[in-house]
Amino acid sequence: MTTDEHPLEGWDPGPLEGAALADVIEQAFDYRGDVTLVRENGSELVGYVFNRNAEAATPFVQVFATDGDDPVTIPYADIRSIRFTGRDTAAGTSYAAWLRRREAAKAVGSRGA
Amino acid sequence: MSVPLSQMWTVATYVLKQRLRRNRRYPLVLMLEPLFRCNLACAGCGKIQYPGHVLRKHLTVEQCLAAVEECGAPMVSIPGGEPLMYPDIGRLVAELVKRRKYVYLCTNAILLKEKLEEGIFAPSKYLSFSVHMDGLREEHDEAVCRDGVYDQAVEGIREALRRGFRVTTNTTLFDGASPIRMQMFFDEMMDLGVEGMMLSPGYSYSKAPDQEHFLRRQKTHELFSKMLSNPKKSWKFNQSPLFLQFLMGKWDFECTPWGNPTYNLFGWQRPCYLLQEGYAASFKELMETTRWEGYGHKSGNEKCKDCMVHCGYEPTAVDTAFASWKGFKATVAATLTGRL
Repeated sequence: MTTDEHPLEGWDPGPLEGAALADVIEQAFDYRGDVTLVRENGSELVGYVFNRNAEAATPFVQVFATDGDDPVTIPYADIRSIRFTGRDTAAGTSYAAWLRRREAAKAVGSRGA
Repeated sequence: MSVPLSQMWTVATYVLKQRLRRNRRYPLVLMLEPLFRCNLACAGCGKIQYPGHVLRKHLTVEQCLAAVEECGAPMVSIPGGEPLMYPDIGRLVAELVKRRKYVYLCTNAILLKEKLEEGIFAPSKYLSFSVHMDGLREEHDEAVCRDGVYDQAVEGIREALRRGFRVTTNTTLFDGASPIRMQMFFDEMMDLGVEGMMLSPGYSYSKAPDQEHFLRRQKTHELFSKMLSNPKKSWKFNQSPLFLQFLMGKWDFECTPWGNPTYNLFGWQRPCYLLQEGYAASFKELMETTRWEGYGHKSGNEKCKDCMVHCGYEPTAVDTAFASWKGFKATVAATLTGRL
């Protein structure tokens, strides 16, 4: 389920191909959380998409899997779907939220004093 | 200006060699990020928002050295993440110094005293701790979103200076910065005994929590003009005077996005230290396949519109000093007189 603050977190666009797949890969590349890549053979890889190249002779994504050390390269053609399963680490940490926490901490501190 | 003569000479001969070879695109400073992990979560930073398993990874020293050799830049800046959290930071720095690279280790200094006491670093003209200081205590602690960090950084600076290390500061300025408070900050840093200060306006990272306080161009000119138009003789800046004059609105520079190439866990970052539009597997691939014309103020790229950050414009300033008599004379005059 997505929310305004986490617009992609939890999103499952379903089976993808062509331009729709390329578009979702772009969003996965921009996403600061893990995704689950479903491959054409049905296997799944959970990890962080840190790179993609749609203009290469064989377009590919590069992923750091949650359970691996080295990056994994997967051709676009081998991807059936991408689910945004991990927490978006760039969301929910707004400056306004920090200011609120800071003011609250100060208030607690001054009451303690 | 406070850049040591040997460093100036190294940079000057390097730039002149590139110009003689008619090499229009050359790197000046390698931004080497051995890890993304940090012990702070600053509001203006967009560098550390990754899943835990990515934050736990880091480059090996061998990967770092291979990148340094491949790039060939005379200076290496080690930001991050917090480089003092990198387990092999002592060995990495020693290897870079052995290769006569001028190293700026960019740190928030929370761990500096502890690491110095462990004895993992040796003083060298090639090594400078570049301590992140975004202003006086109140402003700095607010910028790093944690109280007490300013005092820890000052303690680290004192310890490094006491042990004979080169120490500079790096300061990012945001909208709302007070010129008077910043001038007080310059006094305080020089009183501490740092070799020089580096200044830059912040960049509006798309992943940074705080999107509201980044400086736009006109405001940058106004702020830097107010701060620097009548500089005290005691203030030393460890950067190109032409870059500071650019921030004051005295030069109209274009970005040099390849000037400070970035290497990290993901590879060679396109196109620059600030934007993440993909990664190349080699430095050669980065230089040859990036569409450079799509970046910079004049390109019309919305992401570059207000950017005046040091990593894009300081290389332009350095190149300008060797590209024209006007640039050379302005650099010499500012270096000798301290006037901007």
